Amino acid sequence: MGDTMLRFPRPDGVSAEALLDALRAEAGVVDVIITKEHIGVTFHVGAVGRQGVLERALARAASRVDGPRARPVHVVRVRYDGADLAKSAAALGLAVSELVRRHQQSVYEVLLVGFLPGFAYLGELESALALPRMATPRARVPAGSVAIADRMTAVYPFASPGGWHLLGTAIDFVPFAFALGDRVRFEAQ
Amino acid sequence: MTSLVVRRAQGLVTVQDEGRPGFMHLGLPPGGPLAPSRFGLANAAVGNGPGDACVEVIGEFMVCAQDGPAWVAADGDAATRLRPGEEFAVGSSKSARVRYLAVRGGFDVPVVFGGRGTLLVAGLGGLEGRILRRGDVLPVGSPELSGRDARAPTASVQPSDAVRVVGGPDGDADLLAQFLATRYIVSARADRIGARLEGPPLMWRARPGPRASTPMVAGAIEVPGDGVPIVLGPDHPTTGGYPVVAVVVRAELERVVAAPLGTELRFFASH
Repeated sequence: MGDTMLRFPRPDGVSAEALLDALRAEAGVVDVIITKEHIGVTFHVGAVGRQGVLERALARAASRVDGPRARPVHVVRVRYDGADLAKSAAALGLAVSELVRRHQQSVYEVLLVGFLPGFAYLGELESALALPRMATPRARVPAGSVAIADRMTAVYPFASPGGWHLLGTAIDFVPFAFALGDRVRFEAQ
Repeated sequence: MTSLVVRRAQGLVTVQDEGRPGFMHLGLPPGGPLAPSRFGLANAAVGNGPGDACVEVIGEFMVCAQDGPAWVAADGDAATRLRPGEEFAVGSSKSARVRYLAVRGGFDVPVVFGGRGTLLVAGLGGLEGRILRRGDVLPVGSPELSGRDARAPTASVQPSDAVRVVGGPDGDADLLAQFLATRYIVSARADRIGARLEGPPLMWRARPGPRASTPMVAGAIEVPGDGVPIVLGPDHPTTGGYPVVAVVVRAELERVVAAPLGTELRFFASH
């Protein structure tokens, strides 16, 4: 992409965190963005042998055997008081208490970080809780909002416009705590 | 310790430095000045290192020295020594929408994620993560600590007719050809996140369906569904879902994102 970023297809069968670690460990690499289908890498000005650097890092990532995850599961404490809680439960044909219970039931993985700084897309939300994004996004979603859309859930790290359905409010939420591949669970307060 | 007190601030006036590389995997954009050539000239004018924090002014700004003298400069103008109580103003003009106020020693705001620049969307960096306003007190760093070097400042961008882009990576040859054949105007919807280009909408031969988010970079020219392109600036979202028809080469990006509103632009592709 232009003269700054190389974008290439993300290889199958290698975990996002292995790719991120291997690429970020290379001296010439400045930034790495991993999405569902692509990897974008930027380099220091004058970095040489970029293609070789990428091939070496990808080979290292592919050969890495991910043992049992050493990282703890992040627990987000939630007050289930979201503006869309009752409406979402009704749309899904569930009791509010059932929606709240099932949202806490899964351990989610950070699949993508983007949209807003520190905005982590957590998935997969079980299909019975999937609602399409709102047709008209809210002009302002408060910081700390816990929300769902499609097969994803997330915490808004900062106030912003947004089209997800608000289920609750994270308590003492610290932005930028979640990295790609981390595990996250919600717990009602 | 010397500081500069804000006497007047109107518009998009923020502390910015050379950016915070290395955090895009956390969704943090790289930041940095909208107009690197003017930013570099301002730092050089007061004897600073090339990346020291300045105030980026899109609008009007006036400061007053407090508790000691300060050397200040606007863009590449000769530095001025301010005695305590003396005022200094810098503002956008018709030919220079984005301007910089540098102070010898740099603005000593806290380093957050490797940079001092303000990232408004996240409310971090700069002074309390926000736009400057009257009454703010900006601490001035020590000149001994600022990374002074003898490097020549970034050369001024040479105005030429068309802005250089690299075609792709998305869209097809037809979309790129349409883009390169269109004359655009930099619209009033231009900020540090991106600049919208006004012009006849690009027409898709085959409109792409919804697609997964992909990595983004400053200079990427996204084409949303309405066909009116957006050029991403230094505080862009790190991922985006719209196809990228071309990417402006880094050295020419300020000709787009820092251009006076209403500037007419054309683009040409190189390899």
